[in-house]
Amino acid sequence: MNCRECMEHLYEFLDRELTPELERDIKRHIEECPPCGEQFDFEAVYLKFLRARCKTQGASPELKQRVLRELFGE
Amino acid sequence: MTPNTTPPSTPVDEKRVSFEREALVHLDALYRVALRLTNNAADADDLVQETMLKAYRAWDQYEKGTNAKGWLLTILRHAFINEYRRRTRHPENVDLDTIEPFAVFGEIQDEDPQGAFFDKIVDDEVLREIDKLPEAFRETLVLSDVEGMSYQEIAKILEIPVGTVKSRLFRARKVLQGRLYEYAVSQGYIKGTPA
Repeated sequence: MNCRECMEHLYEFLDRELTPELERDIKRHIEECPPCGEQFDFEAVYLKFLRARCKTQGASPELKQRVLRELFGE
Repeated sequence: MTPNTTPPSTPVDEKRVSFEREALVHLDALYRVALRLTNNAADADDLVQETMLKAYRAWDQYEKGTNAKGWLLTILRHAFINEYRRRTRHPENVDLDTIEPFAVFGEIQDEDPQGAFFDKIVDDEVLREIDKLPEAFRETLVLSDVEGMSYQEIAKILEIPVGTVKSRLFRARKVLQGRLYEYAVSQGYIKGTPA
């Protein structure tokens, strides 16, 4: 596993979408290669930030009522 | 003619109970995706309403206990493409290959390798930048990063191969990261590298 191969799988690794073998190879590489390790950490922070920023909005109580009314006549 | 006995549980009751349990619990998720697709709260409400109506009508087709969220999002996306988008504007015509992701980490690894600047960027700004992404990037990113769906689930909803999900997600995240970086530089959150 070289740095370029490692970077190609960056998000798949962080999304836990890789096979156990590939995941293990990447883990080993980023432990042994500080520049790749730092970049993976940076990207992990970024994804965590994205998730946190986008989770806030949900359907309004008005929409919930409107859907219930439309479906069940309430 | 008035029936004088009411059975304790009718098929309609059962349908309603299972719909509430499996489908209505995803109302918030549907709304979040609808909002990012339409970029407009009133349109998002209408799209969710329409999705729920279609879903309730088709509820017998849904195999109970499988992936209701994925099933609902598929209906929502079809409603968006077939009705909403046709009514409001033409489909986007963007050549995704011409969009160049920007290597943020390379620019910032000396100044802020831990990405502390992200903390200074507020929700609204992130959502605004997401809304500016091309639709194909936006919908993939929202299903993954907002709704936490797997590549397989996203591929099914968007009707594209898993490999396409991977490459779109990779590029969508990189493009968004580049724009958030530029925003952070413009606000003075980080110095960045002068162009």
